[in-house]
Amino acid sequence: MSREAYQVPSMGTQNAFSTDAGYGSAMAVDKSSVAYLCGECSARVTLKSGDQIRCKDCGHRVLYKERTKRMVQFEAR
Amino acid sequence: MAPLVPSQEELQRRRIIGINAETVTNIPSTDFPGHWPGESHGWALDQFKQNFNVEYHRNDRYEASFSLIGLDAAVANAFRRILMNEIPTLAIETVYVHDNTSVIQDEVLAQRLGLIPLTGSVEGINWMRWEQKIPGDDAPEVELTDFNTVVGQLSIECTQNFDAAKDETDARKLYHNAHVYAKHLSFGPVGRQSEFFVDDGAIRPVHPDILIAKLRPGQRIEMELHCVKGIGADHAKFSPVATASYRLLPDINILSPIIGEDAKKFAKCFPKGVIGLEPVTSQEAAKAGSGYQGHAGELKAVVKDAFNDTVSRECLRHEEFNGKVKLGRVRDHFIFNVESTGQFESDTLFLESVKVLKLKCARWKRGLSDLMA
Repeated sequence: MSREAYQVPSMGTQNAFSTDAGYGSAMAVDKSSVAYLCGECSARVTLKSGDQIRCKDCGHRVLYKERTKRMVQFEAR
Repeated sequence: MAPLVPSQEELQRRRIIGINAETVTNIPSTDFPGHWPGESHGWALDQFKQNFNVEYHRNDRYEASFSLIGLDAAVANAFRRILMNEIPTLAIETVYVHDNTSVIQDEVLAQRLGLIPLTGSVEGINWMRWEQKIPGDDAPEVELTDFNTVVGQLSIECTQNFDAAKDETDARKLYHNAHVYAKHLSFGPVGRQSEFFVDDGAIRPVHPDILIAKLRPGQRIEMELHCVKGIGADHAKFSPVATASYRLLPDINILSPIIGEDAKKFAKCFPKGVIGLEPVTSQEAAKAGSGYQGHAGELKAVVKDAFNDTVSRECLRHEEFNGKVKLGRVRDHFIFNVESTGQFESDTLFLESVKVLKLKCARWKRGLSDLMA
């Protein structure tokens, strides 16, 4: 009856939420910049760390992450 | 002792199912051995051939109506059930979503895509193989080949239309690809499929204008679709028919004369054309005890075309027709209506159902001979 101790996910290990696999295209721009979608006008907004969270076109302050490009399989039934 | 032979009237009486105001009588068929003492009702092929009859009422490409006369309800029902459930057809089965940023969820979209009826070269669809699907998660993986899978693509992105008028409110003009229709699905042949599914025979949706999803600028859908053959028993999307049903031929029997105003009212109780009005002839009027005496020249109700009756029983609600009319249905006259979804033509669908029943019988026969051995 031994339980595995909780392991803090480290950046180095390959896990399901690995940034390189899931958000490949979004991260591809630059290691430090990430593309987001504006919640108002759905324009692509590329942000670096420290940037103001704001759409460059309309000034809206809500940005969303892009959907993963990973393939998902469904049964059509 | 030779078997008793029932009279024609008696046989006719047994053929009619009685439909009364609140009850239905004489429902089960009785033409099997041992029901009527002394009569032989053994099934004989010669006799069946002699009595069986097929009549076509309409035969459009995707809708057929025909009568099968002189067979048992069990067989007619078997055809109906096979038509709906056991004729293999092609439909989208697996959807691989690469991107879907539309408001409609992946799983809902996949389910919608599955229900879209597809068509294409019938020869090619018949060439493709259908395999019984093994249920469960640990079922062996089926190898995808050109004879079991058709690959399709749905790849569409909505963009702003800058040529649209300033005050335009219609999304279809304001944006490009605001509506995703079935015509946006594309299916390419793979391997030997290129012998069948090209040009006019290409796999495509039967109706190009089925709305699949709605998009707004910046949203896109990109998915790969795998179509396989399946049967309606597995999922309704594989059913080759929209409707396959039968009804029994209605029978209207006017027992005693309905004349004059009553006749007009009587005709109104039925759909148009079912009851006709004819003048009482002088011969009929002269005949004593016919019920027509002194009514020469007046209109009487006659049954013109019972086929179109809906058997609404309206005439049984009125006092004046009490005991004057008997409604019924003919037990062994099945009026089929088969409407195809568009993959096969409706008359070939029925022949296909006969083929499936034949195969089932052969399998049953083999099983019996295995039992005896």
